[in-house]
Amino acid sequence: MISLVVVSHSRPLARAAAALAAEMGTGGGPRVEIAAGLDEETTGTDGVAIAEAIGRADEASGGDGVLVLLDLGSAVLSAEMALEMVDPEVADRVRLSAAPLVEGLVAATVAAGAGGDLERCAEEARRGTEAKRTHLGEPDGAQPSAPKDDGDQPCEWDCIEVSVTMEHGLHARPAARLVAAAGSVAPDTRVRVRNQTTGTGPVDALSLSSVATLAARQGHVLRVEATGDRAGAVLQEIEHLARTAFGDEPGPAQPLADVEVPAPAVSDQPGVAGSGLEAAMGPAVLDRTVPEPEEREADTPQVEQERLDAAVHEALARLGELAQHARRHLGQGQAEVFDAHATLVRDPELARDVGSRIQQGQTAAVAWQGAVGDVAERFERLPDPYLQQRAQDVRSVGDRVMRILLGVAEPESLGEGVLVVDELDPAIAISLDAAAVQGVVTRRGGALGHGVLIARARGVPVLTGAGELPDVAAGTMIAFDVRAGRLEIDPAPEVQAAFTEMLDRRRREREHALADTHLPVVTRDGARITVKANVSSVAVARLGAGLGAEGSGLVRTEAVFAQWHRAPTVDQQVEVYTAIADAFAPHAVTIRTWDVGGDKPLDFIPIAEEANPFLGVRGIRAFRDDPALLLDQLEALCRVGRTHRLNVLFPMVTSVDDVDWARSRLQEAARRVGLSAPPRQLGVGIMVEVPAVAVRLARLARGLDFISIGSNDLSQYTLAAERGNPQVAPWSDALDPAILQLIRTICDRAPEGVVVSLCGELTSDPDVAGLLVGLGVRELSASPSAVPTVKARLRAASLRDLQDLAAGAVAARDAAAVRDLLLT
Amino acid sequence: MADLTAFQSWITTCATAIADRADDLTELDRAIGDADHGSNMKRGMSACAQLAEQEDFSSIDAYLKKVGMTLVSTVGGASGPLYGTFFLRLAGPLAASEQVGAHEFGQALRAGVEGIVARGKAELGDKTMYDALSPALDAFEEAAGAGSDLADALQAAARAAAEGRDATEPMVARKGRASYLGERSVGHQDPGATSATLLVEAAAQTLT
Repeated sequence: MISLVVVSHSRPLARAAAALAAEMGTGGGPRVEIAAGLDEETTGTDGVAIAEAIGRADEASGGDGVLVLLDLGSAVLSAEMALEMVDPEVADRVRLSAAPLVEGLVAATVAAGAGGDLERCAEEARRGTEAKRTHLGEPDGAQPSAPKDDGDQPCEWDCIEVSVTMEHGLHARPAARLVAAAGSVAPDTRVRVRNQTTGTGPVDALSLSSVATLAARQGHVLRVEATGDRAGAVLQEIEHLARTAFGDEPGPAQPLADVEVPAPAVSDQPGVAGSGLEAAMGPAVLDRTVPEPEEREADTPQVEQERLDAAVHEALARLGELAQHARRHLGQGQAEVFDAHATLVRDPELARDVGSRIQQGQTAAVAWQGAVGDVAERFERLPDPYLQQRAQDVRSVGDRVMRILLGVAEPESLGEGVLVVDELDPAIAISLDAAAVQGVVTRRGGALGHGVLIARARGVPVLTGAGELPDVAAGTMIAFDVRAGRLEIDPAPEVQAAFTEMLDRRRREREHALADTHLPVVTRDGARITVKANVSSVAVARLGAGLGAEGSGLVRTEAVFAQWHRAPTVDQQVEVYTAIADAFAPHAVTIRTWDVGGDKPLDFIPIAEEANPFLGVRGIRAFRDDPALLLDQLEALCRVGRTHRLNVLFPMVTSVDDVDWARSRLQEAARRVGLSAPPRQLGVGIMVEVPAVAVRLARLARGLDFISIGSNDLSQYTLAAERGNPQVAPWSDALDPAILQLIRTICDRAPEGVVVSLCGELTSDPDVAGLLVGLGVRELSASPSAVPTVKARLRAASLRDLQDLAAGAVAARDAAAVRDLLLT
Repeated sequence: MADLTAFQSWITTCATAIADRADDLTELDRAIGDADHGSNMKRGMSACAQLAEQEDFSSIDAYLKKVGMTLVSTVGGASGPLYGTFFLRLAGPLAASEQVGAHEFGQALRAGVEGIVARGKAELGDKTMYDALSPALDAFEEAAGAGSDLADALQAAARAAAEGRDATEPMVARKGRASYLGERSVGHQDPGATSATLLVEAAAQTLT
């Protein structure tokens, strides 16, 4: 691939132009070298620096050539000078482009990414202003280049028509993806595009500038034509692109949606993997906080703005490094956190706000603090808890720039012990040395913050929301246990000893459990128990399978697609469900249909506001009036179910009529894919979360393959206490003996041949898991990280002992008594 | 005849003259350009003036080449590659010379000025440094051809450069940023021709 060199008078300008062009990236764009400014601030061009940049670019291009984009004046003279300085052989492979810098760079980047050679990229750069000129109706543009027809020789063009669905039409990024698709089959297969709605074209699909002249807006129809060996393939790809809004929709299941899954360490490298013990003890290590901006007279707005720009610039550079580090050690998902932070730093709204504050005479630091504070507050006021916690990201980004503005060093190395912070900054979470930091306690911030997610992904124990800790001095001994929700500050020697013992026990248990986790669970007296994983994304499915889960007992589809603004198509769902099923093959996965309502909003399934959403339109109730989206989902399940081991699970079933209605919809979906009945191996089951279902289970479950107890909802409906409301916490404990009694009743009343599964949070505590087995549950679905320990614990138990334990628990006075029983 | 020390003295003298006149140059450039010629040239020439202290040069041409490269790297504006080219080309005919006389310098000056023309693609009357350098070169060659020594020929060149510089005032700029102004550039002396004249005048003071 050719490389590009940007020559400009201004280094920030060149860098920004390169960043803009990189946004067009469809991945794997060309190398872009920059030779701009005499230094960070001094405007000018430097022929020697240009020569060096050309040298580096040439090396990266492997001899494919270098295109130099320039701004004006001395840039041109200096670049020509540079050409005389480099090896003449290299100079032969270099073109200086007369194109306008920004347009030329963008066009050349896309053309190079599509595999265009030096001449093609130079031509694309030259024509970079084409779309703008056409739009503004200025004459004298070169005609959009249609691919040359082969004169008299007619050639066969295959064609498809696709719709432009994106709100902003076929704008630059989607157009770049189209060009990349065409580039992947060039030159032997040629692709051209017409805008059928406006009658423009055809234009060469390899040319971004020409495609842009089609001015394809939302609702327009494009006719894409291809000729050559791979015409069919490329048209299929473009059709797929068009269906997915040319990649402009958020992709499937971003890992950030996995808000409840503390995943284990992903790297063996010392210092990277945390203990994974969900508990830690050590001396308190305090994070240096960011000081308040000093009070001083502001310099001129220009000086303050420059100060801020420099700080923002430095912050962006550091975020780039962190993203790279994350990509290496923790994978793409975690790296995207820092990319997202960079986007926040670059946010134009924020820049405008800070800019106007500076104009009003504030110092850079005060202006930045104020503007960032406003943004964070806006996030905090949003109704969605996930978005609320993004305020933490905003503050983290704000602190980063603030530290630079105030000249305060980043806390690079933290001492050994337990880190105590207000909120866990993702940058600290990613860079902390897990060999030294045994655990983290946060004062503010919930369990969904990015920093917390990253630390948990590394296996670093994190106790969140410890509230107003008394001012712990550095070095104070701190011990905490996430599972028990327990925090000890300066514990007595005997408490320390108990913690040490508990940590040792957990460590041994974990090592042991991980070693055996892929073995099945058979209790000492021969009972076979299945342990599965709860899944909220493809990534988590792979994680669960890797940790020894025997399939998934609950795929939360509303969580998998939580980030989507538009309903996924049947094809998109097929792709995701297939990936999840593949992850667990040969074990079965249970896919729950959209469980919306209550506290789980989905953009694409609007639910009217209700006074009491948990008792309102939830689960399958939401589709009684309009089953279209449910039918799409069931259609996808029928398609995947033909080739994979799947179960379908209906949530929020209450009546016999609900079950009949749901089964009829499944039948209808099967007919849509050309089957007379749903695939035979597709198991059908219902959630048992409404107490009424438990009461009339024998009748409701007849003919089903399985039932799945949702212990979270079953508890809150039975105890009439909302689980998220701390004021009723004393009444909402899922270990209440009444709930245990109800679970036992369900197990007893389930018709012969109907498997009883349990998929609530209860299963993730290894002690409680044993209790559930004692009550009669034979299939558990837990969070992936809990699977090894749960399996190990059950393997070591005997069913008879567990049944005795269950009998005692059901007879206990209250939940506290049950807990005491579990500990003995 | 001029030796290495004389050439180094030329550069330091020129650097001082440019530094003294930097504000004037910038003012001239403010009228018809982007107001950076004075600061650019001052930065470039003062970097050149320090070369002799930083490094021992074995020959005149090695020294002049270094001056050229330094200008390319430090001036920043169009004068960087232009003056840079001038010195790099100037060095060519002086390779292996330890003492430079009128004849050799004439050849070198011609190469240098032609380098500027090639780089900037300027013609006479475009209101550029070439409008000072071209008459200077002609005057130098005429004087040298008539038997003048280096010092006298440079005196003639300096006078011609100053006249050429003054003649740029009524011209319409056709190169560089000033060309955007078109007719409005009339009435202002060209900053490039001004700095070029300082360069020749410094040579007349030092290369003897």
